[in-house]
Amino acid sequence: MAHDEMVDGRGGMRPHWRGLLGVLAGLGQAVLAERRARLERILAEEGVGGLLPGAPPDRWRFDPIPLPLSGAEFATIEAGLIQRARLLEAVLADVYGPQRLLAEGVLPPALVFGNPGFLRPCRLDPQMPDDGLMQIYAADLVRGEDGAWRVLADRTGWTDGLAQALENRRRLGRVLPELFASGQLSPIGSFVEVWQERLQRLLPARTGERGSVALLTAGHAHPGWYGHVLLARELSCALVEGGDLTVRDGRLLLKTLRGLKPIGVLLRGGDGRGIDPLELAPDGHGVPGLLGAARGAVRIVNHPGSGFATAPVLAAFLPALAARLLGESLALPSVPTLWLGEAAAREQVRDAPDRWRLRPAFSARVAPVAADAAPAAWRPALAAAPWRFAATEAMSPSAAPCLGATGLEPGPVLVRVFLIADGHGWRAMPGGLGCVPAGGDAFWPASGPILAKDVWVLAETPEAIFGPPASEAPRLEIRRAAGDLPSRVADNFFWFGRYLERLEGGARLLRITIARTAQPAPAPHELAEITLLADCLIESGLLDAEAIAGVSQTGLAQALLRAAGRAGALHRRLTQVMQVSGQLRDRLTGEMHAVIGRGLRDVEEALGRVTTAHPGEALDSAAQAMARVLAFSATIAGLAAENMVRGGGRLFLDLGRRVERAQAVADELARVLDFPGATELPARVEHGLRLALELCDSSITYRARYLAVLQPAPVLDLVLADEGNPRGLGYQLAAARALLAEIAGSGDASLALRAADLSEEAQAMARDVAAAPDQARAALRLPARLRALRDAVAELSNGLSRRYFALLPPARRIGS
Amino acid sequence: MIYRIRHTTRYDYRVPVDYGVHLAHLIPRPLPGQRVIAAAVETMPALSWRHDGVDHFGNAVAWLFLDTPHASFEATMRALVEVAFAPPPEAWATPPWEAVAAAAWRGGAGAWQAAEFVFDSPLAAADPGARAYAAASFSPGRPMLVALLDLIGRIRAEFTFRAGVTTTATPIAEVLRRREGVCQDFTHLMISALRGLGLPARYVSGYIRTRPPPGQARRLGADQSHAWVDAWLGVEHGWVGLDPTNGLIVHDEHVVLAWGRDYDDIAPLRGVILGGGEQSLTVEVELEDASPSANPAAAPA
Repeated sequence: MAHDEMVDGRGGMRPHWRGLLGVLAGLGQAVLAERRARLERILAEEGVGGLLPGAPPDRWRFDPIPLPLSGAEFATIEAGLIQRARLLEAVLADVYGPQRLLAEGVLPPALVFGNPGFLRPCRLDPQMPDDGLMQIYAADLVRGEDGAWRVLADRTGWTDGLAQALENRRRLGRVLPELFASGQLSPIGSFVEVWQERLQRLLPARTGERGSVALLTAGHAHPGWYGHVLLARELSCALVEGGDLTVRDGRLLLKTLRGLKPIGVLLRGGDGRGIDPLELAPDGHGVPGLLGAARGAVRIVNHPGSGFATAPVLAAFLPALAARLLGESLALPSVPTLWLGEAAAREQVRDAPDRWRLRPAFSARVAPVAADAAPAAWRPALAAAPWRFAATEAMSPSAAPCLGATGLEPGPVLVRVFLIADGHGWRAMPGGLGCVPAGGDAFWPASGPILAKDVWVLAETPEAIFGPPASEAPRLEIRRAAGDLPSRVADNFFWFGRYLERLEGGARLLRITIARTAQPAPAPHELAEITLLADCLIESGLLDAEAIAGVSQTGLAQALLRAAGRAGALHRRLTQVMQVSGQLRDRLTGEMHAVIGRGLRDVEEALGRVTTAHPGEALDSAAQAMARVLAFSATIAGLAAENMVRGGGRLFLDLGRRVERAQAVADELARVLDFPGATELPARVEHGLRLALELCDSSITYRARYLAVLQPAPVLDLVLADEGNPRGLGYQLAAARALLAEIAGSGDASLALRAADLSEEAQAMARDVAAAPDQARAALRLPARLRALRDAVAELSNGLSRRYFALLPPARRIGS
Repeated sequence: MIYRIRHTTRYDYRVPVDYGVHLAHLIPRPLPGQRVIAAAVETMPALSWRHDGVDHFGNAVAWLFLDTPHASFEATMRALVEVAFAPPPEAWATPPWEAVAAAAWRGGAGAWQAAEFVFDSPLAAADPGARAYAAASFSPGRPMLVALLDLIGRIRAEFTFRAGVTTTATPIAEVLRRREGVCQDFTHLMISALRGLGLPARYVSGYIRTRPPPGQARRLGADQSHAWVDAWLGVEHGWVGLDPTNGLIVHDEHVVLAWGRDYDDIAPLRGVILGGGEQSLTVEVELEDASPSANPAAAPA
């Protein structure tokens, strides 16, 4: 019988469950189900899921029913884990140091030299930190049938879940505040503050610059990426990728907009084996020379070699190691473990195969299997090199109530507890993460979906009673001066702006064109306008020239609807926006992220509803979809203006929009002034002018200023020169100049000067037309200048990329 | 014997490299039987930063950083080294090979460091074919060194030294099938075979004299980096150097740079570069006899 967390052996409720269960019963199943749905919704909106096409979905799901532990019980667990942390640190210090354990035969050679987690480049480091190779440690625990906790896994390298635990506690406080009113819950927020402080103290005390703390992630394609985003936010540290960093003069430097900034403490968000392609795995996501820097001024947390102690087989030796290294016996034992390198152990497993499960000795990522059901791939190694395997005793985890379809249902639970070194010793976070393993295995899966629970530690002394977690306010977001922004992030913001604008511009162009093709019997000048608009669409890649060559007006309308629909060119632009906004997840507020996510889903739905079937409906569906795109784009612009700190990412977001719109406007104006037969019939310039106003959304303004008379000079003044018209070219260039000047600060302002020249050229074009005796002919001479201006804006954008974004080129390994 | 060594490695890049970091195992290792009189590594262009240390295996290692654009990188090691490795024990007096394997597996005092070299490494994992090839020399109860000498004799006789047919990525099974390769291949093959039998074997990188002793054939693997095997004879006798390419016991024609589990642990120079396009690599090695007797005119007074 599995141990029951809630009910004792005589059918009575355990005292620490009473308060919680009373609240749950009071709420009732319907309310709980509704609250769970809210929790799921928050997760979908604020999490990584759904935003980033191709990215692995977020593996974390949360059950709203917490798992409470009494304060006394948790104190025992904490004491046991602190002892284990000290022990594992001592093991690591010896294995990466003098190796006395090997010389004395306490550890067999296979356990160290056969363990792929033993990283030889990390050994005998003259700078070996005297305050230990671990700063954070987590353990997975299981409660057996006898009611005693045992350790399933020691996570000495990198472990996920800490940020999720904090985040989940806050979310639970939002959706189920009633639960928190009941009790004596120990808060967990201060744990992170202690750690943050500790990391600050680890910064090397060098004269002049101390550097800062950063978290190294393998990027948004890595399954742990979202956890990294959350953790970096909790710790208020930079989230960086290998390509953002470089080692120079023995220091680790982050490439930012204002040059290279030193990093003093690097938290690693993945396996230690991937952090330096020079000395370790050449295919990792790390930084060449990082281990060299770690021998000097940089501290890597945890030490890259610390993953050594995650080998499941080590559990078989821990009692002996505790006796040898600490002179103590192990207070919180592991699940019974055997090393199959020993003949006696193999016999034990052979004699009682039901009792044991087999697993690779050195990989904690592979789930144990029944001893008589080893996969075929293991068998040759099991026979030839049994030392590569371990056996752990089969366990049935204790059961705790989870929210099911009809009420509370018992589910198996494992518990992960996190500990940090605070400079004086170890301390555990008073709480943790529960996991309801699929299939009831006593194994916390390394990949795939996880149903997690909030673990509560109930304080027992009145002084320790705290209120609901509402006081644990989410941390402040984007507050960086532009200069400290990593180049990669600035690049992402810039492209976010460009893609958004490309999406909006496409929708505008399609909307205008589709409306015109809807006319039943277009006049000749209307036909000419449609041709010009189709050219604009082809030029910008929204229509395929070959597909519409020689088609009728109906055929063109169909092509336009396809371009606007689910599988069309506009949808591809939407995908680009989704991709880059997903990569900016760590730089956007939760609210902004949620709004963007919801907006993107709405737009995607609207595009999906564009039909080509019934002419009447089709037009309406397309018009609605395009309106949705424009509304979305406006929302983002408004949000950015209202919500984002001026400076940093927002400057680049704005700049991206200006650069993209300037190119589009210049290109479209060139096209509408370049219609067939222009030289013979300059009077037809009127059609072009009308389109120009419409494309720049300036018809109403024009009418208000000049009534309905269309003349080249006033039209071109409005769309080219007027710096107050947010849809005109003059505005884009003036804004780009101002943004570039602000980004440059007191630095090199040559890009802003180039933008000023372009701005002046737009003014000059409008002036030249106004001063010409024949305005129409003068206007028709502009396309070449407009195209040159468009190309100059593109060149300005390239210059911007080279100046601010140029990432380090990809690293390649070479050898003699 | 005293040798004067010059080892130059040069990369030429089609496009200038913005940044490069190189890990050098280029300084000869001081050993009983090997006295390093002088040794230094110089580079062109000058380095922006250099860090010297000792690796897990006890070899000298240097991290060489260049952080300004450069179209080529050249590292030259010059050294003066005296070698006279002690002769191995009488072959018949060494323990049976099974006893050596058992001692390595047990580890503990005297054996734990050697035990590391029983386990697979990326370029020299135990290979069933290599193990089967070696088994003919390792008949039950045969003294360890007798079996080893038989094995290097067979490799010398049955394999052809041929440059250019293999690379560092060529699997051991392929070398075994072709019966040809270079010193690195034969060394990895022999290490893999010994590990398959549970015997510790390590990869030694270094050099062999360019000109053979008078009246002898030119040695294979001269004028370049050379490689051979250190095999373990048990707690009492320790390690012996064996050159399967030349069928020699290492005595005074070899100079040791470094040892590790395989080539990857101790490549003389390897690096990571950013940028650079295509590259070409040139390596030159000279190992001249600098003993006073070899060139009396140049000998110090």
